[in-house]
Amino acid sequence: MTSKSKAKKRTIFFAVLAMILIVVSILAPWLCPNDPNETNALYMKAAPCRQYPFGTDSLGRCVFSRVLMGARTSVFSALFLVAVTFLAGSVLGMLCGYYGGLLDAVVMRLADTMLAFPQMVLAIAVAGILGGGMGNAMLALGITGWTLYARLARSQVLAIKKEPYILAARLGGSSDVRILIRHIFPNILPPLLVNAATQIGVTMMGFAGLSFLGIGVQLPNAEWGSMINEARGYMQLAPWTVLAPGGAMVLTVMIFNYLGDSVQELMDVKAQ
Amino acid sequence: MKKRWSAIITALMTCALVLGLTGTDTFVTDAAEASEAEKKILYVAEDFSYASLDAHKEYYGWMTSLYGLTETLFKMGDDSSVEPWLASDAALSEDGLTWTITLSEGAAFSNGEPVTAEMVIRNLQRAAEVNARFAYLAEYEMEAVDEQALTITTPSVYPTLQNDLASPELAILDLDNTTDYDNAPIATGPFVVGTFEPEGTVTVAKNENYWGGDVQLDGAVFYYMQDDNTKLAAMQSGELDCYTSVTAAAVEIYSLDPDTYQLTVIPATRLQFYILNENTLSDNVRAAINLTVDAEAIAAYLNGTVSATDGPFSSSTAYGQVVKAAVDTDAAMALLEEDGYVRNEDGFYEKDGEELSLNLYYYASRSLDTLAILMQEQLKNIGVNVELYAEEDPDATYIASGDFDIALYCMISDKAGDPYYFIDSTLRDGAALNCGGFESEECESLINELQYETDTDRRAELANEIVQMAIDDNAFGYVGLFNKTTVMRVGVSGFAETSPFDFYAIDADTDKTVTE
Amino acid sequence: MGKYIGKRLLQMIPVLFGVTFLTFLLLYLSPGDPAEKKLKAQGIAVSDEVVEQVRQEMGLDRPFLVQYADWLFDALHGDLGTSYKDGRSVTDKLAEGMGNTLILSLASLFFSLLLSVPLALYTAVRKNHFSDYLIRFLTFVGNSVPSFLLSVLLIYFFCIQLKWFPVITKGTLQGLFLPMLALSIPMISRFIRQFRAEFLEQLSQEYVTGARVRGVKEHLILLCNVLHNSMMPLLTIVGLSVGTLMGGSVVIETIFMWPGLGKLVMDSITARDYPVIQGFVILMAVLYVGINLLIDISYRVFDPRTQSV
Repeated sequence: MTSKSKAKKRTIFFAVLAMILIVVSILAPWLCPNDPNETNALYMKAAPCRQYPFGTDSLGRCVFSRVLMGARTSVFSALFLVAVTFLAGSVLGMLCGYYGGLLDAVVMRLADTMLAFPQMVLAIAVAGILGGGMGNAMLALGITGWTLYARLARSQVLAIKKEPYILAARLGGSSDVRILIRHIFPNILPPLLVNAATQIGVTMMGFAGLSFLGIGVQLPNAEWGSMINEARGYMQLAPWTVLAPGGAMVLTVMIFNYLGDSVQELMDVKAQ
Repeated sequence: MKKRWSAIITALMTCALVLGLTGTDTFVTDAAEASEAEKKILYVAEDFSYASLDAHKEYYGWMTSLYGLTETLFKMGDDSSVEPWLASDAALSEDGLTWTITLSEGAAFSNGEPVTAEMVIRNLQRAAEVNARFAYLAEYEMEAVDEQALTITTPSVYPTLQNDLASPELAILDLDNTTDYDNAPIATGPFVVGTFEPEGTVTVAKNENYWGGDVQLDGAVFYYMQDDNTKLAAMQSGELDCYTSVTAAAVEIYSLDPDTYQLTVIPATRLQFYILNENTLSDNVRAAINLTVDAEAIAAYLNGTVSATDGPFSSSTAYGQVVKAAVDTDAAMALLEEDGYVRNEDGFYEKDGEELSLNLYYYASRSLDTLAILMQEQLKNIGVNVELYAEEDPDATYIASGDFDIALYCMISDKAGDPYYFIDSTLRDGAALNCGGFESEECESLINELQYETDTDRRAELANEIVQMAIDDNAFGYVGLFNKTTVMRVGVSGFAETSPFDFYAIDADTDKTVTE
Repeated sequence: MGKYIGKRLLQMIPVLFGVTFLTFLLLYLSPGDPAEKKLKAQGIAVSDEVVEQVRQEMGLDRPFLVQYADWLFDALHGDLGTSYKDGRSVTDKLAEGMGNTLILSLASLFFSLLLSVPLALYTAVRKNHFSDYLIRFLTFVGNSVPSFLLSVLLIYFFCIQLKWFPVITKGTLQGLFLPMLALSIPMISRFIRQFRAEFLEQLSQEYVTGARVRGVKEHLILLCNVLHNSMMPLLTIVGLSVGTLMGGSVVIETIFMWPGLGKLVMDSITARDYPVIQGFVILMAVLYVGINLLIDISYRVFDPRTQSV
C-alpha cells in the first residue's frame, strides 16, 4: 500500500514539474530577456553575465532566450507527435485486434513495412520531397511512431477479447463500438499511456538526432537539438553554448521519463 | 548479504573495465612508433575517401593528387598561374588551334619507365573515355611528334587548354604496366601506394625512383575523417600532423597555442554568393538588398573562414578587379521608399497593404545556413522581412525551378586559374545557375569573345567587364570566398598550405622534423 | 508450429515488396539524382549536356516503373547490382558495413548485458534503498543525453584530457572502446530499468517467498530461480534492441569514423545511390521481420493466451 501511495506522490510531483515546463514553454516569448534571433557582433561567445544569463553563442545570440524559445519547439512538437501517433496507433491496433481478418493483416503488414523502413531513409526522403522544417521532421518520425501503439493495442485486445465480461457485453446486445469504447479501451489504456509517456523523451531525442543530420527546425528558430549540434565545435571555447541547451534537454527528457516511470508504477503495468 | 552483493558487482564492473582497457598502457600513437623507427611519416585527415585510386575516373584524381601519387602535365601555381610539371613547355601555333607540348626532361614513372608523348596521348584518350566531364578531349586531334613532344589540335580556339591539362583527373599513369587501376595505379608522383582501403585509410610510401629528386618524407597516412570535432580532437591528442579546411571554432583553439600549431590562411576559390530573382524583385528592391548585405560583417561572424569579396574571383588575380557599392542602409531604405514602400507599425515595409516579405532559399552546408541567418538579420534591420527555406539539393530544387526571391549558392569559382568557367556557368544565357532572369545581349557577346580570346590580359579585361555588368544589374551578390585554412603541427612544412587549390597536399618537399 | 512459421515467412514477401517499392519511389520523387550528385561532388558546375549523357548511361532516363522492375528482376535473381557512386558490388559494400556494425553492436550488447543484468538484479533486491535510487537516477541521465553530445564529451575527456584512448579508431580493441561506450550507455540505462521491472515481478512471486520460507540461500534463489525465470522476457527485450542496433548509428559511426552500415546508408542517401539503399532496406526488412517472428514464436510457446490467434 505504501509503495502505491509513494508512486502516487511521485507521479504528482513529476506531473507538476512537467506542467511547469509546459507553462514555461507557453510563456517563453514573454520570459525572454533578449530577442532570441538577434545577432550581435560585439558579444560573440560572451560568457554568462547579467545581460546574457547563459552567455551568447557564436553569432552573439542570447543562449538563455534561445533555450527558452527552444523549449517551445522541442516540448510541443514532442507532445504533439506523441499524442497524434498514440491516437492513430491505438485506434488502428484496437480495430485490428478486435475484428482481425483482412484489416488486421493489411495494417500489421503495413506496420511491419514501416518498422523495417530505416528511419533515416524516410527522414531524408521527406526532407528532400517536402523540404526541411519541424513539420516534416515530425512527419518523418510519425510515420514509424504509430506502429508501437498499434502493435501493443492489438496484442492487448487479443489478450482480453475472450474474457467473460466482454462476451457478456456482447451477449447483452452491446454494439461493437460501445464494447470497444466502454469495455476494451479503458482496460488496455494503462499500458498504452505508460508507453506514450516514455515516448515523449524518446521523441525529443529523435528530433535531436534529425537535427544532427541537418533536418529539423526552420532557421533561425531555436530547437535544443540543433542548438547543441551547432555549438558542438565550441565545446572547448564556450562550453555554455552546448551545456545550456544540453542541460535543458537532459532535464526535460528526464522529467518526462520519470513521469512515465511513476505512472507505470502507479498503474502497475509493464512498458514495452 | 549487502557485502556479498557489492563484491559481486564490483568484480563484474572491474572485469568489464579491464576488458575495455586492456592494452591501454601499450597505447602509443603511430606517430610515436614511427619516431622510434626513425621514420618520417605524416598523418593527415581528409574529408573525402573514394573507393578507387583510378585518377581518370570521377573525382578520384583529386585524391590521388592529394596523396602525392599522381602528377599532371601542368600545375596550378599559388597565384593561379600555369606552371610546368610533367610538361616543360607549351607553344601555340599561329592560328591558335595547335598546341605543341614538350615533356620534362627525365620525367618517369615510379617503375623507372620514361613518360613518353605517346603514353600521354593514351592517357588523355582514356580520361576522355571514362570521365564524362572530359569527354570533349576525344574531339581533339593528338599526335606524338617524337618521344618528348606532342601536338594537340582543337577544332576551335581553346585558350585554356593548359589550365585544363592541370586538372588532377588528367594525371599521367603508366597504362602499360598498371594492372589494378583501382588499387595500385603506377604513376609519376613522389609517393607510391602503400595500403589502400576503399573509402577508408590510405597509406603511401616514398617513391625511391622519383624523377623530380629526393623525397623528404618516408610516407604518409591519410585518414578519412568527416567530423570537424573529431579532427580537432585527433590533432589535440597528437594523432594528426595536419589538415585543411579548419573550422572557425578550431582556428580559435589552435591560435591559442602557437608553440604547437601553425595556421595558414589564404583566400581560396570556393565562393559564397546569392542570386537575386529579376522576375520577382524590382530593380530598386534588388539594389536595396545589395546595399544592405554587409559582406565584411558576415566575414567577421564567420570568423576568418571566409574573406569578404566584391566579385567572384580573388582580388589578387588580374580578372578579379571589380567593385560593388559600399554598404549604405539609408540609401537602401530611400530606394524602397522611392518604389512606393512605406513602413507599417511592425517596422516592416509594405506597399498597398502588402508587406514586403522575401523568401530566401539555402542549403545547409558550407556555412550557407549562417549566411542565411545573417542576411535575414541585416535585411530585417532595414525593414525587409525575409523567410528562410532550406532544401537538401539546391540544383534539383530552387536552382532548377527559379522559384525564389533570393537563392544562396556555393561553388568553386576558379577551378583552373581562369575566369571563363565561372562566367560560362553562371552568367551565360541559359546556364543552369543563371536562374534569376539575368539577361544582357552585350554581356552575352562579351562572353562569346572571352571564350575564344587567347591573350591573357585581354581575357582579364573582358572578365572584369562582364562581372561588373552583373554586379551593376544587381543580379547577384558575391559575399565571401572561403579561405583555405591549414593547420600543421610545428615542424611540418610544405603541405600545399599556400595553394588555393583543393587538390594539392604533399609533394617531394613536404617535411616533418621529428621532435618527439 | 511449422505451418505458422511458413505462414509468417509468406507474409514477409509483401513486406519486402512494399518496403523496396516505397524506398525506390521516395528516392525517385526526392529532388536530385545519382548522376548529378556524382558529377557535382566537388562543387564544380557541370553542363546540363554532360549530366544528361551520364544519366542516359546509367539508365536513369527510363520511366520509374521500368527502373524498379529492372532492379527487382535482378534482385530476384540474387543480384543486388553495383553502386551508382563507385561501381563496387552492393553485396560487398553491405557485407563490409555489416561486418563493422556487427563488431560494434555485439561488443556493445555484450558490454551492456554484462553491466545491466547484475545492476538490475542489485537494484531489484535493494528496491527503494539509496543505491537503487542512485543507479536509477543515473539510468535516467544516461537515457536523456543525445548520442552526439555523449560522443563529444567522451572524446573530450578520454582522448584529449586523459589521453587514454586514441581518437582515430582504426578497428583496434582500444579504438572499439569509446564508440562501444557511446552506444552502450543509453542501452544500459534502458536495460537496467526494463530488467529491474522484470526481476521485481519475479521476486514478488510466491515461489520466491516459498523458497525463502524453506530457507534456500538468497543468492541461490536469485541465480537459480529469478534469473532463470526472467530469461524469456529478458531475451525479448534484447531481441527488440538488436534490430535497432543492426541499423548502425550514423551519429556514432560518423564521429568515431567507424565505417558501419549507418554511415554507409547515410552516404548512399546523400549520393542517391539507389542500389545500395535498396540492398540495405532489404537487409533491414529481413532482420526486423526475422526478429519479430522469433519473438512472436516465443510468445506463442510461452503465453497460452495467444495460442488461439
